[in-house]
Amino acid sequence: MGTQNLQPPVVQFAQLDKLLALGRANSLWPMTFGLACCAIEMMATGASRFDLARFGAEVFRPSPRQCDVMIVAGTISKKMAPAVETLYDQMPEPKWVIAMGNCAISGGPFVFDGQYGIVEGADKLFPVDVFIPGCPPRPEALIEGILELEEKVTGSRRFPRVEVA
Amino acid sequence: MEQQSLLDLLYVAAFFLGGLGFAVGPFIIALLLAPRSTRNTQQKTAQLIECGMEPIGDAWIRFGVVYYLYALMFLAFAVDILYLFPVALVYNRVFAIRDFIEIVIFVGILALAVVYAWNKGVFQWERKTYSHR
Repeated sequence: MGTQNLQPPVVQFAQLDKLLALGRANSLWPMTFGLACCAIEMMATGASRFDLARFGAEVFRPSPRQCDVMIVAGTISKKMAPAVETLYDQMPEPKWVIAMGNCAISGGPFVFDGQYGIVEGADKLFPVDVFIPGCPPRPEALIEGILELEEKVTGSRRFPRVEVA
Repeated sequence: MEQQSLLDLLYVAAFFLGGLGFAVGPFIIALLLAPRSTRNTQQKTAQLIECGMEPIGDAWIRFGVVYYLYALMFLAFAVDILYLFPVALVYNRVFAIRDFIEIVIFVGILALAVVYAWNKGVFQWERKTYSHR
């Protein structure tokens, strides 16, 4: 069906790639795309109180052609799965996926023997870069997920890690 | 003098090339630096964007031409107003009645366009074409 093989760009320089990664990591454009209750937390993250703009990821784009990161926020029902996969296909490289919340990680509370309506995790559909646990995760958790993704893209962390007391 | 005009021409050429570079440059840079394919699951990368759903019909549909004609009529009014400004400036500088008659002739001729369109039924808001679906 699909392919995970990626044709590299024509021009490749290590230092230039580092610079590009820095730019990409500091201006991640997520997709305006919510599936369930986690999307409410995602909206709160983008709004003024938690203000994802502080981390450069506030430009939620309505078209997958303009997006860098897909935040799978919520339960993927089997009926919705083709649409989610299509959106993933339509995003241009480089692209990343964040699975937000327990449903997107593993199906969450909807998993039981004989269930027939739920895709048990976004990674059943396409590769996922960052998993954010929670039901739903708090906005701070989503911000931490974005920071983790930045760390994955650039190889270094921009903000100090929060120590658990 | 000859040299000056040549220099001016060079400036124009330089600005033209600069503008062209700004317009075309990003496309070339993106072409060189972007990965040449995208990972996909369903091979639907080239599908029209319809929020993940299968698109119904084509993006190239035909729109009703009503508004286009209406906008053309707006042009008649706009030109009318535009040319009345200079008239307002010089009005009554020599002989007011002559100016008045000239305005009446001018506006009358332009008004013929509106009358023509009115007769043709442009101001009746009816759909004249239908989409082919």
